[in-house]
Amino acid sequence: MAQVTEVVKLQRKVLAEVSRLALHDKLADHVEDILTTVVTEDGPRYRCCIHKERAVLKDRINVALSQPIGTDITEAAANALNGEVADGSIVRVLPEACDRCPIDKFMVTDACRNCLAHHCIASCPKKAIMVAGNRAYIDKMTCVECGMCKKSCPYGAIIEISRPCERACDLKAITAAADRRAAIDYDKCAQCGACKIACPFGAISDRTYIVQVIQAIKAKKRVYAIVAPAIVSQFGVKVKLGQVKTALIQFGFHALHEVAFGADIVTLEETKEFAATVPTDRAYMTTSCCPAYVEMVDKHLPQCGEYVSSTVSPMVATARMIKAEDKDAVVVFIGPCIAKKVEGQKNPDCIDYVLTFEELAAMFVGAGINLTEITDTLYETDASRHGHSFASAGGVMKSVIDTAGVLAPDITIKPHRAEGLGNCKQALQQIAKGDLDANFFEGMACVGGCVGGPGTLNDVRITTKMLETHVNATKTVMAPENQKAVDVIEKGGHWHKE
Amino acid sequence: MEQLVVEICAGTSCYLLGSQDLIDALETLPPDKRSKIDLRGITCLKACGHGPNVRIKGVVLSNMTPDRLLQAIEDNL
Repeated sequence: MAQVTEVVKLQRKVLAEVSRLALHDKLADHVEDILTTVVTEDGPRYRCCIHKERAVLKDRINVALSQPIGTDITEAAANALNGEVADGSIVRVLPEACDRCPIDKFMVTDACRNCLAHHCIASCPKKAIMVAGNRAYIDKMTCVECGMCKKSCPYGAIIEISRPCERACDLKAITAAADRRAAIDYDKCAQCGACKIACPFGAISDRTYIVQVIQAIKAKKRVYAIVAPAIVSQFGVKVKLGQVKTALIQFGFHALHEVAFGADIVTLEETKEFAATVPTDRAYMTTSCCPAYVEMVDKHLPQCGEYVSSTVSPMVATARMIKAEDKDAVVVFIGPCIAKKVEGQKNPDCIDYVLTFEELAAMFVGAGINLTEITDTLYETDASRHGHSFASAGGVMKSVIDTAGVLAPDITIKPHRAEGLGNCKQALQQIAKGDLDANFFEGMACVGGCVGGPGTLNDVRITTKMLETHVNATKTVMAPENQKAVDVIEKGGHWHKE
Repeated sequence: MEQLVVEICAGTSCYLLGSQDLIDALETLPPDKRSKIDLRGITCLKACGHGPNVRIKGVVLSNMTPDRLLQAIEDNL
């Protein structure tokens, strides 16, 4: 998350208010209050009128409560308080909020010189371009948006404009529907959340489990928070994990576990898996920890599916370990990722709910918990540098290479990695075709890795730097040296997908 | 030379509403301007919910944006 714009503020205020009301047992009767507390009579105004703003807000509240868009918000609140979660996808377009961006894809700019050659006219297969007012003019009724004119203009005077959501989607899963509202094609979408960050109207959002988690805590269940390694500096550069732990306990969570520990298990298992299967059973192997990347492979390159590591993700490894020790545990993953919510749905045996750092911060605000006013108790990590480094692009790759040096020094690893789903897709295709000489590929949907995820609170550059310092300060260097992780694996457990 | 004290709230509520952006805006000021400012992080200004909040010369300024903060500093220098 780069900048906290007005639309981001609005989204976060809704989450904080929903949390506050739920915590004070007021959500059922006072959910309508959010319409007046978040959008006040005296502005500021972002839309045509206050009524439109409140209509948008109702969509936001429904999504925040994990209820279908269009549900009456009092009913939605009652459903959420009962722990209900609507079926369907996590990432949603908010129909009221979508501006239906009226974008003409190709536009002739002032740079047009009305030259003599008229390459644009000559190149247009539909004869949609003519000269009007001393410059080229595109007839929108005939134009099929092929882009030949843009390519042909020697001045580069014809530009291509696309909607921010469409441009952000590497998988071309979002397009304008017949009513010009954005529509997501869930057969292509990996629910990475890039479109949510890109839309300047805040018209795309992801469902949250805030109320469901609060209700589980209120019901005195043992709710475990498992936090992703990208947590470093998410709540401010000076806020330490010890403070976050105290805040979580104050909030009512039973305990905190680091997913970095599960990442150590994954490093060990993935290294063993690689050594056992490459090159004997398969030409290469690719990572399985990034859920949006795995989803992309599943939907766009199914022929590569068998090359994805069968090792579970660090989230699942950590959660399974907890459930093995406490069968009544309610496990809540807290991380930078929206796609993890989908992965959580697919692993109901061990993951109960998924929250983002943004959602957790809003919950703290709703509870009146200020992390900066909590005294730091030194938190001793039980993970190695490897486990922590999973949060940053290249981390998984390096961990497996280092670990192979210890566990299987004779194998040859030819590594390659990519960030961004488009880049991942391209690289994986090249490896599959043999155009790229690699036998181990790390795919990360977000640029920078998890620290660049859509549910983060701090700038990816700051977090990357802070994470590096944190990794270097961690005592246990390598996953194979993490005796606790080795012991957990030896005790037995399911660390691979069936 | 006496510096202008600018206190930016880094409490969780203000942080969620973008206090980090305010800090970034000050850190990227040209050195001659930046040197005139004594930037201090603070944990709460008791105006949560209207953040991000900043205090300059005893006055709490709410709903701050980087642009408005730079203007406020300009006015006070």
